[in-house]
Amino acid sequence: MIRGLAGAGLLAAALFAQDGSTRNDWPHYGGERSAWRYSALDQINRTNVGRLKAAWAFQTGKVDGGFNATPLVVDGIMYVSSSWNRVFAIDAETGKEIWHYFYQNPREIGIIYSPWTRGVAVGAGRVFFGTLDNNVVALDQKTGREQWRVNVEDMRQCGCNITGAPLLVKDKVIVGVTGGDSAHRGYLTAFDVNTGRKAWRFWTIPGPGEQGHDTWAGDSWKHGGGATWLTGSYDPDLNLVYWGVGNAAADFYGDARKGTNLYTDSIIALDADTGKLKWYYQEVPHDVWDFDAAYECVLFDAPVNGAPRKLLLNVNKGGYAFVVDRTNGEFISAWPVAENINWIKGVDSKGNLIGRNEPPVGKTFITCPSIGGGRQWNHGSYSPRTKWFYTTGIEWCQAVTVTPEEPKAGLNFFGGVFQLRPPMHGPAGGHLDAYDPVTGKKFWSYPSKYPLLASQLSTAGDLVFTGDPEGNFFALDAVTGKKLWNFPTGSGHRGSAISYSVKGKQYVATPSGWGSALAGLLPQLWPETEDFPPGSTLFVFALPEER
Amino acid sequence: MIALALLLLAQSAAEPTVIARGEKIFAQSCSVGYCHGVAGAAGRGPRLRGRTFSKDYLLNVTRDGIPSSAMPAWKGRLRDDEIRAVVEYVASLSSATDPAPPANPMPPGIGPAAIPSFSGPPEAARGHALFFDPARNNCSVCHAVGGRGIAIGPDLTTMRTNLIGPAPTTLPLKDAAELTSQIHATGSRHVLTAKLASGEEFPALLAEQDSSQVRLYDLTVTPPVRRTFARRDVVSLTQNAAWRHEDFVHDYSASELEDVVVYLRWAATGR
Repeated sequence: MIRGLAGAGLLAAALFAQDGSTRNDWPHYGGERSAWRYSALDQINRTNVGRLKAAWAFQTGKVDGGFNATPLVVDGIMYVSSSWNRVFAIDAETGKEIWHYFYQNPREIGIIYSPWTRGVAVGAGRVFFGTLDNNVVALDQKTGREQWRVNVEDMRQCGCNITGAPLLVKDKVIVGVTGGDSAHRGYLTAFDVNTGRKAWRFWTIPGPGEQGHDTWAGDSWKHGGGATWLTGSYDPDLNLVYWGVGNAAADFYGDARKGTNLYTDSIIALDADTGKLKWYYQEVPHDVWDFDAAYECVLFDAPVNGAPRKLLLNVNKGGYAFVVDRTNGEFISAWPVAENINWIKGVDSKGNLIGRNEPPVGKTFITCPSIGGGRQWNHGSYSPRTKWFYTTGIEWCQAVTVTPEEPKAGLNFFGGVFQLRPPMHGPAGGHLDAYDPVTGKKFWSYPSKYPLLASQLSTAGDLVFTGDPEGNFFALDAVTGKKLWNFPTGSGHRGSAISYSVKGKQYVATPSGWGSALAGLLPQLWPETEDFPPGSTLFVFALPEER
Repeated sequence: MIALALLLLAQSAAEPTVIARGEKIFAQSCSVGYCHGVAGAAGRGPRLRGRTFSKDYLLNVTRDGIPSSAMPAWKGRLRDDEIRAVVEYVASLSSATDPAPPANPMPPGIGPAAIPSFSGPPEAARGHALFFDPARNNCSVCHAVGGRGIAIGPDLTTMRTNLIGPAPTTLPLKDAAELTSQIHATGSRHVLTAKLASGEEFPALLAEQDSSQVRLYDLTVTPPVRRTFARRDVVSLTQNAAWRHEDFVHDYSASELEDVVVYLRWAATGR
């Protein structure tokens, strides 16, 4: 059964309407804009990965907040960003720097969404990225010189900035915003790639007179969160941009925002040219747990009850993967990626949450998973060969105390405090698993002492690459989950590995560098992680030359 | 002021009531989210529990923040006595050896720290909210007041002449309605028309230039875009007589603009 799968997958891949495989380049944040994080390269495969060797390493020179990025590769040149908005163009074959651009941030950022960055977008002769002080910047792709920049909003006023990578669609660069844990009203903005002029904006919280506005009590819509802090996907056939929207604010205290609170914790599908809403699917109405729907939107096609469907998979921070029809937002299925989940009892066949277990105001209450999620933001991977989805899960809980809180412009807006706690069942820790993306059937599980906080990369060599907090970068057999190769990089992993090819040679690249908001929380459950060494190094691997 | 506060700290043994007060403020302002964690047990920010810091250091860092870090300056957000209470509380955590903090970190019924977002008179509050209103194409995407907002032009706190008249402090304040109509009608001598070699033309403010390049704010839409050009790519920069504020303030009604004017006048003159 398992042995036959890979071969069958090859055939099926050719029939896919949207091919999300990367080849020589890694052109977008999620590989291609369907967010598969899958490379069709197979030079490095199950039989030879054991001989994989480091080819070169690159130091960003600024060690702060972890190395959280996905590098991009276009025509043999790698573009990568690191903390404090350092951007580099590197010869992807040799590791030699071509140019660098160090954005001048103010000395004090003073908001919690810093100093990490998750990546850049490349296209139209430019390199685009968002900054810690809430600017969008376009650099000349060849020289690294600034061409335009636009300050989206005063970060001191909004308590928001940009840490996610932009998404390039036709002549627009689409950029999200943080601020889901601040008194802020979220949005998604598209800018003209040539001039930087705003092309459209979609508010993730409808204003007065707009449909959905009545899902917010009183003035709560003005500070209701709905951040778009990661990167969306794009289906060129449907011309739809998909973006996951974050939690409602205040995170834990919901009494002041009675209602379902659209479009927080929702997948939104927008017309790429106009930014108009085509459909939405809300995973968690009236969120009081900080369970974002902000993670990646994986676009894949698969049969459902025998009929081929265009689907979208999104892992919610609450620990459930939601699958919807990406043409219309119809609910298909939901399945858990973590075992310790007590905020709901389940999801019914229509997508309704069953048995909501809301923390009461003023009392300390155990919620599972913790605010860190049944999975973290780092992205899963879909392989068209196995037709499986590879993603992590985390087993942990928290003691949360909900308190009433008034919104204050520019400041945090949590509505409570939390403390990590061990899970109800089994030890605290993480795992990486292979699933049928529609049914959630689990094929294998790789256990980890600590939560796995790096993204997955799958390849046509039937490998799954990822890293762990202790600094190991490793490859698993995509079919069996068996560990085939391991390389200690010396600092924990919070970024996203990629694969690319230059002059016919396949490379695998990964950022290594412990840090980030979540890494800072880990000592509450694992005290020894407080001393895990930070870093900011890009490691690149290849097979040794044949002799 | 700092010296005085330090003196006070040195002299006063940490009283339980001060520490308790600091604990509440800490729970509300410092432990939240990804910062120092409940009872200083670590978060995105460093662990404070079980560590020894000098009170001078704690006071400086709490008041002024840490440059190039996520630690903000709390002066202006918390009162001096509140900052001192937080310092006393954090100092008291040095002897905490239990990794697990109290089960209930914030007693029920405790409200949020009272940090007013606007401290001016009530009659200016409406205009302040409108000036920064994130729900519309607002003034603060091009203008700053008191250091808040995006200042591609001068901080409006300094616009005394426009708001009061040619001889400040001696003449009566201009009528808000009159100023509002002025905001609508006026152009600006600073606004230029930029013509590029490509044929593109747009209203612009000059941001900076040197011998090789020109930086212009493109005012075609908001927010303004700072664009960088090689000198040879800019054919001409001429005064733009056609540009009017009116095209950019249509998200505000006339009466709302009057409220904004009241706020700006208070910000510039204190009355």
